[in-house]
Amino acid sequence: MTTEPVAAEDVFAALADPTRRRLLELLSQRGDATATELAGDLPVSRQAVVKHLVVLDGAGLVTGRRDGRERRYQVRPDALAATARWMNQVAAQWSSRLTAIKRLAESAEGS
Amino acid sequence: MNQDQVEQEIVIDAPIERVWAVLTESEYVGQWFGDGTPAPVDLRPGGIMRLDHGDHGAFPTKFVSVDPPCALSYRWASGFPGVVADEANSTLVEFTLSAEGGGTRLKVVESGFTTRAPSPNPSPDDTRESHEQGWAAVVGKLGELSEKLAV
Repeated sequence: MTTEPVAAEDVFAALADPTRRRLLELLSQRGDATATELAGDLPVSRQAVVKHLVVLDGAGLVTGRRDGRERRYQVRPDALAATARWMNQVAAQWSSRLTAIKRLAESAEGS
Repeated sequence: MNQDQVEQEIVIDAPIERVWAVLTESEYVGQWFGDGTPAPVDLRPGGIMRLDHGDHGAFPTKFVSVDPPCALSYRWASGFPGVVADEANSTLVEFTLSAEGGGTRLKVVESGFTTRAPSPNPSPDDTRESHEQGWAAVVGKLGELSEKLAV
């Protein structure tokens, strides 16, 4: 993989957890939400939601702003879009390696 | 269903044994992966294949299974140049070869992008049931959303 940004590693680690993936989905559906609101839709405590949001924030996947006594979170699409692009690059690199294998196998055939 | 992977395949107009040779022999590996110089290949489970990725460094990948001429897999610590791949730091690359007509279908799957890096905060509520929605689907879905939002 020729282009492996550190940010992608953080995104992968954040996405490895199913609760965090669910949180991202909920946030994208709602537009924005507080930890209390999100905990209402999940079988986990508000404290657990807060911890997950901190990880998502650290990976650049969500952003929070103060709203009274709580923070209101929303999805930051850039890091996800970058990760999707990175995965496409990985696939493209394999595609070109397979093409190289094909060329070698076919050209060496008659020799 | 694990969607944490990249897949590609190609049909090659050469016999399966020929494709296997290109996939595993030192001089060929150096050409389809590296800069053209032969790559050291210790072709056995646990053996090391040293992939030279130019400016990105050299990667001592480790074979997991060697089953000529049908299947080959190795671990690749692409985030850690110079470090021997193990289960914690690497992705798994699996090649599958199948005879098709007079040629060969070659498929490659690279998997384990989310599991190779230790999660900083392992979740106590991480249940198997909730794994059914893979992260790749979420990335895809939210990637689409992000494009809409960006407009």
